[in-house]
Amino acid sequence: MIASTSPIVSLAVRAVTPVALVVAAYVLFAGHNQPGGGFAAGLMLGAIIVLRTVAGIQQPRHATVWLSVGGVVAGLVATAPLLWGEPLLDQVVVSWDIPLLGTVKTGSALVFDLGVVAVVVGLVIALLDGLDATSLVDRGRQSSPDDLEASP
Amino acid sequence: MIWFLLALHAFVVVALVAVGGRLGRRSLWVAAVPMAVTALWSATRLGSGDAIVTGFAWVPGLDVNVEFRVDELSSLLSLLVSGIGALVCVYAVGYFSRTATSMGRFAATLLAFSAAMVGLVWADSVWTLFIFWELTSITSFLLVGFKHVDPVARIAARRALVITAAGGLSLLAGFVLFVDAAGTARLSDIAPITGSTANAAAILILVAAATKSAQFPFHVWLPGAMAAPTPVSAYLHSATMVKAGVILVAVIAPAFQDTDVWKPLGLSFGLVTMLWGAIGALRHVDAKLILAWGTVSQLGLLIALLAVGTPKATFAAVSILVAHAVFKAALFMVVGEVDVRTGTRNINDLSGLRRSMPITFVVAVISGASMAGIPPLLGFPTKEAAIEAALGLSGAEFWIVGGLIIGGSVLTVAYTTRLLIGMFGASAPMPEHDVAPRRPAMSAPEVVLASASVLGFVALGWVTGVVRPAVVTVAPKAEVYSLLRWPGLTDAFVTSLVIVAVGAVFGALLARRHVVTGPVARGAANVDWTIDGVGRLARQIAGRVQHGSLPLYLATTVLVICAAAVPFAGQIDADTLYWWDNRAEAAMVVMIVAAAVSATQVSSRLGAALVLGAVGFSVAGLFVAYGAPDLVLTQLLVETVIVVGFVLGLGRLATTFPRPTRLWTVGRLVIAGAMGSAVAVALAGSAGNPVGEAPVRELAETAQTDGGGKNVVNVILTDTRALDTLGEVIVLMVVAVGILTLGTKRRRGRSPAVPGSDEPAGIAEVAR
Repeated sequence: MIASTSPIVSLAVRAVTPVALVVAAYVLFAGHNQPGGGFAAGLMLGAIIVLRTVAGIQQPRHATVWLSVGGVVAGLVATAPLLWGEPLLDQVVVSWDIPLLGTVKTGSALVFDLGVVAVVVGLVIALLDGLDATSLVDRGRQSSPDDLEASP
Repeated sequence: MIWFLLALHAFVVVALVAVGGRLGRRSLWVAAVPMAVTALWSATRLGSGDAIVTGFAWVPGLDVNVEFRVDELSSLLSLLVSGIGALVCVYAVGYFSRTATSMGRFAATLLAFSAAMVGLVWADSVWTLFIFWELTSITSFLLVGFKHVDPVARIAARRALVITAAGGLSLLAGFVLFVDAAGTARLSDIAPITGSTANAAAILILVAAATKSAQFPFHVWLPGAMAAPTPVSAYLHSATMVKAGVILVAVIAPAFQDTDVWKPLGLSFGLVTMLWGAIGALRHVDAKLILAWGTVSQLGLLIALLAVGTPKATFAAVSILVAHAVFKAALFMVVGEVDVRTGTRNINDLSGLRRSMPITFVVAVISGASMAGIPPLLGFPTKEAAIEAALGLSGAEFWIVGGLIIGGSVLTVAYTTRLLIGMFGASAPMPEHDVAPRRPAMSAPEVVLASASVLGFVALGWVTGVVRPAVVTVAPKAEVYSLLRWPGLTDAFVTSLVIVAVGAVFGALLARRHVVTGPVARGAANVDWTIDGVGRLARQIAGRVQHGSLPLYLATTVLVICAAAVPFAGQIDADTLYWWDNRAEAAMVVMIVAAAVSATQVSSRLGAALVLGAVGFSVAGLFVAYGAPDLVLTQLLVETVIVVGFVLGLGRLATTFPRPTRLWTVGRLVIAGAMGSAVAVALAGSAGNPVGEAPVRELAETAQTDGGGKNVVNVILTDTRALDTLGEVIVLMVVAVGILTLGTKRRRGRSPAVPGSDEPAGIAEVAR
């Protein structure tokens, strides 16, 4: 009942994936001055992973990798200023002049946000994994919904 | 040097944990190195006249410091701790067989314990002392439970840990009060304090010392701790663990000398323990248990002498502490050797070992005689000092304290005699072939310690020169006292002669009486029953509370939140309430309410999930009406993921809800209504009661200047209040790990509920 064997769904999800990635990246970078940010970007990536899982394109895997990388990155950015005697989570702002884009202002908050992204993605994958989404999808394909009813 | 030695201990502990498994018994030699170095350095510090002080501020705001001070007393104690530790390591090489396993772990734990003990005797701040005090509790737990496959050892270790850890809590509370009353946390700065705070601190600290030093009624853990390998017993119950309480009492006594409770409580602990321990030693047939109970008795004597508090008594206590460490370690080693070589410690089965184990016999006689206080051994002048101190009291104290100490000494002589006759006496010598060959690694430390008992008497002037300055650090008036080799025919000496004579006859008579088995350890059984009972009770309560019914969990949570909202009701200011900022809000609210109500009426689960999604998206619409794009974006994304998650999760459930009972339908309505009202009341209440101006402008400015971003909300998230975000990241990770664990467990095919168990699934999972 969940999964669709429909090639239309599958193709649509495949087609929308790169777009979603770009939008997620935009949301992440835009976060500093406009609506967006790490949490939103992470959820967007999470949503596309959910769609791909439901469409049977990919399996929810490596949740622990995402989680640990995200946690370590966020933790490092948080504690790194201590090494220079600055307070915890002190932010460093850098501006670069990049051709075509002009002056880009960014800072350690962006790296922190990247950690947040990874953790959110990890959480979504963990949810899918914990709910055993793949087997649900497979069972949805192989059997009629009625067989699923008596699950404990 | 202090830091170097502590670091050396720590380094070798880590190294032994890492590679000790490959070294086998050789790791014991490695562990002996830091101990020997510490002992040698301590020996050079003896009587040097100046103290080495070092430390750093640990928590400056709370005035909690790490401070060490090596003066005459602490160097003497660390010499005992590390010196006997090194000997115990050598002894353990002989004690354990070639094939013994986990020797790396054993050596590492023993060394860690030794380090904790050294830190404890060097500590100059009560907080430092407390840390090392707790470290000795933990490491001794590991040592007592070394044979962890043996349930007896496990239970004994648990008992020791529970009692000493409870004492640790008492100590912490006592130190907090002590620092409050004394105004300093430095042990070398303490001055007499009085008052109710001081009284409470005195009681708490005495109780802590009593748990550690096995004072009645907390002594029950010590005999059980004999489940440990004998090297552990020889170390823990001669020079270290049990002496920690005595040392604490000795160094902190000057502060509490003038309080009302210190002396009576200390004397009661000490005197009762001294007698009860000696009686216990007379009743047991296991040689190691006899020594254990004898240790309890000796500790009682020490605490009693320190509680008396006269300079003479303190002097006697420290002298006995030194002598006891030496002879008790040797006696434990002797018993361990007898155990290893004959296969039994029961004095009924042992006899006539003086022929088959001559060296051990000599060591046992020397150390036993030292314990009984017979010249020419170190135990004699120290015991003499104690009796002298007891006879020097006046009035009721003279009769009670003096009488009991003399009585206790008689019993000490008696159980020593009984032990020696039981093991080495020749009623019916054991056949030679029943005795395994001698192991030099065991004999050597025994001989060293026995020689120390003899040499201590020969070089009594030197011993006095070491002990007296040590005592002076806690009792300045003690500088007039000396240990005397030949006191002359004083009252004390005559009393000693009587004590030895009566005790020896009594002990010899008892040795002929055949006791089949020792008494049942009823106190220990009670402690175990209590510990198990707490566990049972906890399981029962957890079983009730963690019933496993999700609706009931939710209902409980919601009702508690409702109760928390009640105080807000009184703060609602009707003037601040108005209907809406713009009409769009009203439209959204209507949609939200309609979706929420229909969610309660839908009978299909999928439908309910979708209607809930509608609630969420309407809330996003509400945010649009407010002009909060960040919230809209996040809300939409969260809602999307939640709806998909719901739909996936529903795949495991029946498509429709089970038909609810009427009562439950009403109950749900009430709970849902209460929750809605509670949130409304809380919001209205806090809106009517603003605390100051909202810091909007400030946040907006700092976002630009500090955060370098124009989106204030996001700058708050990543910079201004980034610590909150970090906390949320951690929460998310914890949640994810929980989900993964649950998911993985289920997939491995473990049924969540234990068959035949009425415990809910969650508890069974945790219990595993």
